[in-house]
Amino acid sequence: MGVNTVSIATKIYQTLFRRTSTFALTIVVGTLFFERAFDEGTGYIFDRINAGKQYKDLKKQLELRAAKEE
Amino acid sequence: MMSVGRVAQLAATSQIVPSFLRPLIPPIAQKADKLIVQENEIAKTHYSLSKQLANLKLAVSASRSLAGTQQTRCAHTDIRIPDFSEYRRTDNKSNRKSEDSNLMRGRAFTYLLVGSGGIAAAYSGKAIVHQFVSSMSASADVLAMAKIDIKLGDIPEGKHVTFKWRGKPLFVRHRTAEEIESEKSVNLAELRDPQHDDDRVQKSEWLVILGVCTHLGCVPIANAGDYGGYYCPCHGSHYDCSGRIRKGPAPLNLEVPFYEFTDDETLVVG
Repeated sequence: MGVNTVSIATKIYQTLFRRTSTFALTIVVGTLFFERAFDEGTGYIFDRINAGKQYKDLKKQLELRAAKEE
Repeated sequence: MMSVGRVAQLAATSQIVPSFLRPLIPPIAQKADKLIVQENEIAKTHYSLSKQLANLKLAVSASRSLAGTQQTRCAHTDIRIPDFSEYRRTDNKSNRKSEDSNLMRGRAFTYLLVGSGGIAAAYSGKAIVHQFVSSMSASADVLAMAKIDIKLGDIPEGKHVTFKWRGKPLFVRHRTAEEIESEKSVNLAELRDPQHDDDRVQKSEWLVILGVCTHLGCVPIANAGDYGGYYCPCHGSHYDCSGRIRKGPAPLNLEVPFYEFTDDETLVVG
């Protein structure tokens, strides 16, 4: 790690981690972003594994079939 | 630590007693071809570290008096300082780097780890709480029954229709222009539960009320009674075309549920 990384670490430490209040706030705000990212990520993986099996996928096919019959 | 001058000065008055600590490397007989050396143990616990420290037996005593030992001084010169390098970060071992920058990096990393742990804990805590709280809310089948859609085109003017909504009768009345005018011109002073007609309806043509008498909960009969609105057969309460109590034992007006007109033709109650 160079000088630059150290200074970034120092800056992060000074602004976020040094006080307990800002540390707690960092955790709370971080949780918001983490939750969003984690939920989206796991949802994406689930959808990819179950592609073509879920109702939202079948719905498109059903609509297509209904349109053809008409 | 004693300086050299100090030691020389002390020599006259002190008597140095050799350490009682056992040496860490015992003397080895050199007869064997193989030289077996017991390696210096790396102290990793507080117990093994503490064994390297001097105990109370190690002391310098000075005595020149008849009474015997007067002073006891700890001898520092032959004490090995315990090696803590096992515990130190590799970054900090170098004495060429500024200690502050290393410390800061270590701290930032430590707090980063704690912080991510906190985030994970907060996330899972929220998930658990959410699961328990959401189990208390109404289930999907209950929610599906909670609303009713009414096609207004099916109700001609001057007619009254009763629906079942959440297990109760729901009255929807398409009021005529005469009824609307007579209800709007009622003097509030003569009402038992004063409420203007405008406060009870969203669109003047449509009266939406719960068909439960506020007296003892009977279902009133539509288009009956002295005021042409509703009449409760149980104890004779008369309601007008706005569902307000006008005569009889009931204390309050018929209840208006929450409803909205999604478009000109549809009424959604609930």
